[in-house]
Amino acid sequence: MSIKLKALLKSPWVFHLSTGSCNNCDIEVLDCLTPRFDIERFGMLLAGSIRHADVLLVTGSANRKSVVRLKQLYEQVPKPCLVVAIGECSLSRGMFIHSYNCPVPLDKIIPVDVYIPGCPPKPEAIIAGVVKLINRVSEKAAAKK
Amino acid sequence: MDRDSVLKEVRQRLKDDILDVFDKSAKRVYIGIKPGSIRKAAQVLFKDLGARFNIASGVDTRSHMEILYHFTFDDINLLISLRVMLPKDKLEIDSLAPLFEGANWIEREMNELLGITFNGHPDMRRLLLPEEWPEGVYPLRCDYREWDKDAIRDRGV
Repeated sequence: MSIKLKALLKSPWVFHLSTGSCNNCDIEVLDCLTPRFDIERFGMLLAGSIRHADVLLVTGSANRKSVVRLKQLYEQVPKPCLVVAIGECSLSRGMFIHSYNCPVPLDKIIPVDVYIPGCPPKPEAIIAGVVKLINRVSEKAAAKK
Repeated sequence: MDRDSVLKEVRQRLKDDILDVFDKSAKRVYIGIKPGSIRKAAQVLFKDLGARFNIASGVDTRSHMEILYHFTFDDINLLISLRVMLPKDKLEIDSLAPLFEGANWIEREMNELLGITFNGHPDMRRLLLPEEWPEGVYPLRCDYREWDKDAIRDRGV
């Protein structure tokens, strides 16, 4: 396993991006960081800047104005990076699928590694999703070697 | 000033401009106003009677384009909605933004989403829609049809 990937999986720093969500998924992400769920026991920290992050947590339905910002941010993440789509809106746009302002789902814009469904998903589901992702990536890297 | 004296004052001072008054409940009154005299009515409610401009809302109904200007009297718990019906072939009305700053952004929003022209607005730019949105397409109208050929409207499963 390369040193980059090893460092990423040991302590994935997450960056939280809302692309026009109703804030409910964002509250659940915030819940993960609080002592009750304490996502830091997996080495995860909330990064203040996208340039320090390894994992991009995306919530919301990717509306026309935020897609521009989303692409900019994705260009700025240090690669390799993992993208986690949180909530029904970022999976399939949920109830906003016919909205004039949400033309394209998130996974047609940037590659998504894990989908966490729910409206909003529970903090347990978010933690389970991210842990599954870390296990899968490390297994893949081990198999390659 | 209580509810009855407010309504009496409004009826008296706007008696040529009022089309109908619908007294819905103890805290809600709808007043139909001629489109030409909206600025005068807002002047009476806002400047003279001391109401607060809450918000305006635009609705595309079957026969008319309807704008509701909501004014509240917080101390007597009364909400007066001025209702203006615009004919669909002439969507123009005087802007209220020179009277009070609170009407500025909501009129910009109604202009881009419903296509209503506000005469005398100081700064009519786009507020919400992105730059690439085509001119003359108003998404909240009844006859809006999808213009974007690249839009994907299936759930992908």
